[in-house]
Amino acid sequence: MKENRSNVFKSRKRKEKIASVISLIIIIIMAFVVLFPIWWILRTSLMTNAEIYKYPPLFFPSEFRISNYQKTLEVFEFWKYLFNTMTIIVPAVIGGTLTATLCGYAFARLRFRGKRFLFSLCVGSMLLPSMVTLIPLYIMWTKGLGLVDSYLPMILPYFTGGGAFNIFLIRQFIMTVPRELDEAATIDGAGRFRILTNIIVPAIRPAMIVVALLIFITLWNDLLQQTVYINSSDKFTIAIGLTNFRGALKADWSLTMAATCMSFAPGVLFYLIGQKYFVEGIVMTGMKN
Amino acid sequence: MNRPLKKSKRRRSHISAKEERTAYLYLIPAFIGLIFITYLPLLGVFGISFFEWKGITSPKFNGIDNYVRLFTKDFFFVDSIKATVYFALIAVLGSMIYSLIIAMLLNRKIPARGFFRAIFYVPYVLPATAVYIGWSWLYETNFGLFNYLLARIGINKVQFLASSRLVVPSLAAISVWLSGNLIVIFLAGLQNVPRIYHEAAEIDGANAWQRFRNITIPCMTPIIFYNLLMSLVTNMQIVVPALSLTNGGPGNSSMFMTYLMYRYAFLNNQIGYACAISFIFFLIIAIFTAILFITSKSWIFYEGGD
Repeated sequence: MKENRSNVFKSRKRKEKIASVISLIIIIIMAFVVLFPIWWILRTSLMTNAEIYKYPPLFFPSEFRISNYQKTLEVFEFWKYLFNTMTIIVPAVIGGTLTATLCGYAFARLRFRGKRFLFSLCVGSMLLPSMVTLIPLYIMWTKGLGLVDSYLPMILPYFTGGGAFNIFLIRQFIMTVPRELDEAATIDGAGRFRILTNIIVPAIRPAMIVVALLIFITLWNDLLQQTVYINSSDKFTIAIGLTNFRGALKADWSLTMAATCMSFAPGVLFYLIGQKYFVEGIVMTGMKN
Repeated sequence: MNRPLKKSKRRRSHISAKEERTAYLYLIPAFIGLIFITYLPLLGVFGISFFEWKGITSPKFNGIDNYVRLFTKDFFFVDSIKATVYFALIAVLGSMIYSLIIAMLLNRKIPARGFFRAIFYVPYVLPATAVYIGWSWLYETNFGLFNYLLARIGINKVQFLASSRLVVPSLAAISVWLSGNLIVIFLAGLQNVPRIYHEAAEIDGANAWQRFRNITIPCMTPIIFYNLLMSLVTNMQIVVPALSLTNGGPGNSSMFMTYLMYRYAFLNNQIGYACAISFIFFLIIAIFTAILFITSKSWIFYEGGD
């Protein structure tokens, strides 16, 4: 009986091990598949056009032609575009993260009249697609407030909590911080704002970083609003610049791919720096809902 | 006995008033946002959709004419609904299946799990415009990677983005590739499925498929619901590939609703008409979301049997 049980246990262990090995193999293959498009774009950006059109295609460039990037930079004003994009993103990320934290804190910790109603308004707006309100907002910013050819229509909305989703996310995180910490600080004479800055903020740092990342990605991807609000080429962002560059150089794939790779870089860099927090925080966004 | 109680009650109500003021102060940004960025513009869309408004001239009320034109005369509109729903269907189902499978594999005891998780997440942090332009080279008909790979297994050249039949599925495949954030959330959910359920089922002789079907899936339903909702709202709003790559073509096959709205409002100056499209777009997403919420009661499994 005892032997039999240990046999069952052993065979289960072995089966589990085999399953893990197979999973690992599939994961490695899938990781290659997922990364391969990025490699293909990168390798194209380092080749001459003659090399690109070779058949069968080369999987590695014969030499790494960094000069493609210099040539691209002559037409594709990457640094200017990057600076412009950051002019939108940096204030928006700061404003969004700060106001979302303030509002999330109020919803999580403070008692006030109309809380339920306000909170349901907030959650309800989470399901409202931002594309729906584009036209009235455009009229408000440009015709109502005269903000033509300006970044402000893309930045200012983030100073209103950065969207209901971010407020909700911060609130959910604050709910997991033990209330005893607040109470202990209150006894020590700390006010609401001190509690927020000294106790809550350090405890929810991963959530704040996720909010920052989400705002970053949203603005990074938002070609539509950038196209709509920006007119002059001095103010073009990476997304607009890249679209125009491709339109102008349709056939020159190596230069187009060099511009594409340059546009990949800042996001990847930002991600690598905060990677630990992003995953931790995003994991929690899923769990808290 | 009575006095301290009274005192404490008074003190609490005093704190409450102060607390209330602090709360309203902190919520000012959210107030402004909800009013001016969310709900008033939504009313605005609805209101403007009943006007003929060419941008320069003042708006002229024309009742439901915009809606009549949408549903009876505008072929672009019908095509745009088809393209959007078709895209969202493939993209949502594709990314849900893909990310659940990857998450389940990552949930095994494998080395360097964090490293692999990071790899699958990378596409998500790349700017969408660059992603679509980069992939357009992979999809290129004569020299692109995919046609080379197809040729290797004996399949003739396929026009991915240049064919009206394949453009939407091809773009949806990119959206699946971009769904790394779903993987991370699924993985977190899987790690919360109590191991003891699996062990008990295994002792009772359940095979891997039965355990997946009867334990993993039911425990994961709240997470599946969340991912489904987020993925649906994101993918219905697809616009970047049309804007940066296809211009709605070939034919009208990638004329997504948001792109059509953009064209009418910003290229043709038909603002009232574009608002009518926006409002219908809002209704379609609202209906899909409502269906998800209503049906969720019957398929979401909450632990503790609520």
